[in-house]
Amino acid sequence: MEKIKIAFNLNDQDVSIETMPNKRLLDMLREDFNCTSVKEGCGEGECGACTVLRNGEPVTSCTMLAGQVQGERLLTLEGLSKNGELDILQKTFMEAGAVQCGFCTPGMILSAKALLMKNPHPSRDEIRRALSGNLCRCTGYTKIFKAVEMAIEE
Amino acid sequence: MKKRGKGVGSMWYGIGNTGLPNPAAAFIEVLSDTSVNLMVGCADIGQGSTTVMAQIAAEELGLSYENIHVISADTMVTPEGGASSASRQTFISGNATKLAARQAKATLTEVAAGFLNVPGEELIFRNGEIFSSNDNSKKMTYRELMAEMKKHGRLAVGAGAYNPKTTYLHPETMAGIPYEVYSYATTIAEVEVDTETGEIEVLKVVSAHDVGLSVNDTMVEGQIEGGVVMGEGFAVFEKIECSNGVIKNPIFSKYLIPTAMDVPDIYSVVVECEGECGPYGAKGVGEPALIPSIPAIAAAVEDAIGVRFCCLPITPTDVLRELGKLKTQ
Amino acid sequence: MSDRDFSVLGQSVIRKDALSKVLGEAKFAADYKFEGMLYGGVFRSTVPHALIKHFDASKALALPGVACVLTAKDIPGKNRTGIIIKDEPCLVDDKVRRVGDAIAIVAADTPEQVNEALDLMEVEYELLEPIFTVERALEEDSPKIHGATNVHAKKHLECGDVDAAFAKCDVIVEHTYNTSMLTHMFIEPDAGIARYEDKIMTVYCSTQNPHYDRADVAGVLGLPNNQVRIVQVTTGGGFGGKLDISVQCHIALLSHFTGKPVKMVRSRKESTNVSAKRHPMTMKAKTGATKDGKIQAVEVYMTGDTGAYASYGPAVITRAVVHCMGPYEVPNVRVDAVFTYTNNPMAGAFRGFGVPQVAYCHEGQMNAIAKELNMDPIELRLLNAHKIGTTIATGQVLEESVGFKETLIQAAAKAKEVM
Repeated sequence: MEKIKIAFNLNDQDVSIETMPNKRLLDMLREDFNCTSVKEGCGEGECGACTVLRNGEPVTSCTMLAGQVQGERLLTLEGLSKNGELDILQKTFMEAGAVQCGFCTPGMILSAKALLMKNPHPSRDEIRRALSGNLCRCTGYTKIFKAVEMAIEE
Repeated sequence: MKKRGKGVGSMWYGIGNTGLPNPAAAFIEVLSDTSVNLMVGCADIGQGSTTVMAQIAAEELGLSYENIHVISADTMVTPEGGASSASRQTFISGNATKLAARQAKATLTEVAAGFLNVPGEELIFRNGEIFSSNDNSKKMTYRELMAEMKKHGRLAVGAGAYNPKTTYLHPETMAGIPYEVYSYATTIAEVEVDTETGEIEVLKVVSAHDVGLSVNDTMVEGQIEGGVVMGEGFAVFEKIECSNGVIKNPIFSKYLIPTAMDVPDIYSVVVECEGECGPYGAKGVGEPALIPSIPAIAAAVEDAIGVRFCCLPITPTDVLRELGKLKTQ
Repeated sequence: MSDRDFSVLGQSVIRKDALSKVLGEAKFAADYKFEGMLYGGVFRSTVPHALIKHFDASKALALPGVACVLTAKDIPGKNRTGIIIKDEPCLVDDKVRRVGDAIAIVAADTPEQVNEALDLMEVEYELLEPIFTVERALEEDSPKIHGATNVHAKKHLECGDVDAAFAKCDVIVEHTYNTSMLTHMFIEPDAGIARYEDKIMTVYCSTQNPHYDRADVAGVLGLPNNQVRIVQVTTGGGFGGKLDISVQCHIALLSHFTGKPVKMVRSRKESTNVSAKRHPMTMKAKTGATKDGKIQAVEVYMTGDTGAYASYGPAVITRAVVHCMGPYEVPNVRVDAVFTYTNNPMAGAFRGFGVPQVAYCHEGQMNAIAKELNMDPIELRLLNAHKIGTTIATGQVLEESVGFKETLIQAAAKAKEVM
């Protein structure tokens, strides 16, 4: 197999790389761009720990190939805070106690971010639905809902 | 038809290992600028023990939480902490932390008493200040105290170890003292059962937990909420399917754990209860958080449809079978 | 919540680890990288009970990038691990006891080479009769999984005169309760990375039990405990499933033999297949009360399947027996419990150590008694609840911090308000 060259925007920076076309997006982000906030929990697109935003939409990077992001905009948790200023969701996740082990946190925050970008005032049910692809085994989700609701109020 | 029901479940839980020694230790040092290094063996696996230890050390030393830096679970640096299991770390490593801080404080007290010219027993350490409980004009800041310590060549260090007071259990009757202290809890669950599909929806859960002292309400609630949802999984979702020793469902798409869609409204009630044995009375909540929701949800299903189940989890298929609605066996 | 005079306790301060976690900077074991590191993998049994007649790794060793393949005979120290009973081989030496037993380990330059090497390893088994039920395990003619008996642990607790007490009861309820084998499903699969640092074997890993890990890694390598350093890195949940040894001994061995850092990250499937499970249990309970609602006697017979290795089985059975009458004053108690080895997946610690199972049983019994007596279930519990001065079935007198009644009262009040 031959390497392919792809160019895309990662966390507001234009980047390009030569990579194997069958490399998973997850592996490319972690290994080639050191975006280790992107976690692998299952490798089958079920747990959501590897969620990144692709043109503002949450996708599981373990079920995508590197080549699929040619020319697109990707956001990982590394790119969420701007100039050292935390995103509102990062603040409310801390304040609400929505973080325990932290392994689901990057994907969870990004799914919540995608929701708020599309719908600035979601209901509890809309929050549940938006986060239903992100599994958490520690928190019982309740403080995560609260964190998202706190971010709405701000 | 959708039928609702309510159920109660309670539990008790002995803190620490059963009828066995299970000590933990801590080292502490207050530095000249009043920042603190606390070294505990206790592994924080997300439950928040590092934060709990910092709060206990801050309280005992009379410094702020921000002053405490915790180094945890590094066997070349930290003393033995035992396992993060048995809901034991707040109680056991917490007591060890308190004892370590107390030992450092004994030296601090001696030096402060000399400087302020009051008996050490009178001194209160609080919010970065040291003052006499009898005469609050006799006071100094922690920074002044650390300067005084330096002048006298004293170091504010401490080591603490704690082993819960238990006995080995008698091999034939199990008589003895299995645990030093117990946490208690009661959960009440409300469910709705769809008698056409067999689906069980857990609507609301109230869970009241006697934790002794709540070191951090948000974290205690976090344990309770996580436990309730894991208990929901235990009661109505989860089961490893094993055939000829092979696990058939080792992945999330086949072993279903609760998602954000499944979470009931959870009402945590934190109950405190005075006691001497835990650090400031604190016990444990990690496992108690899970336990009573399981029987409460099972009882609520029974209440809803009047059928008693003897196996967990109770799945939609089980509900339909008991209601005589399964078309094929 | 606390009305006592504290300055820091009772405050919902922000967790120490919150900032690094919301920034995505917290480093979990799989996020570590060391210069020149190799990747490790485990060749596992696909049968539940067998002798190994022949194992051949020659094709794997011939692959480019493969640094070494190790089997039991390479272990410099003791080939047994386990938190309470050291009955689990680090690498199978005598026989396979479950699907997923580790037979060989490999280190190679890339994860792809590791997988290729694992595919090329060959093993020939002599199959033994497997045991999958407690009943079969207890039969005299069943094959024995460890030593001379399949009984892993047996416990008996007794206080008072149970038979006489039942004779005086107005109501007696008898039910059998079953719970399933469950898995933790912590979201972070087990992972670790090991290397020598200044001649100290240093293992960075996801664990709930670093000091225990140290002893087992030292044991397997034949090193003194102070020549092994376990550093627990940010750990993605455990719930009891990261108390046993996972990758620690394997990566330490591979690093020891290759002289390079070795990293191992389990797939979800491998993690679930080989980490300990919750004990499936059967509990047959008999509870008797007088018509005033006082519980007079409880009798429980419970069995559990601890699978191929003991893990935390001894802790689970003991705790289950002590707790199985619930938080109630019961003057007459008799409990018998038997856990057996089988060739099923290993069962061990899982949040609650058997108490979730027995709580399903004792609370089912309490609700059944309440129904028989037409009593409110909260009232029945209040009437029998532990309090200061209660003597429990082991003879211990509860002297302080017994807040059970308050949980009943406050839960009932809150439920009245919101349900």
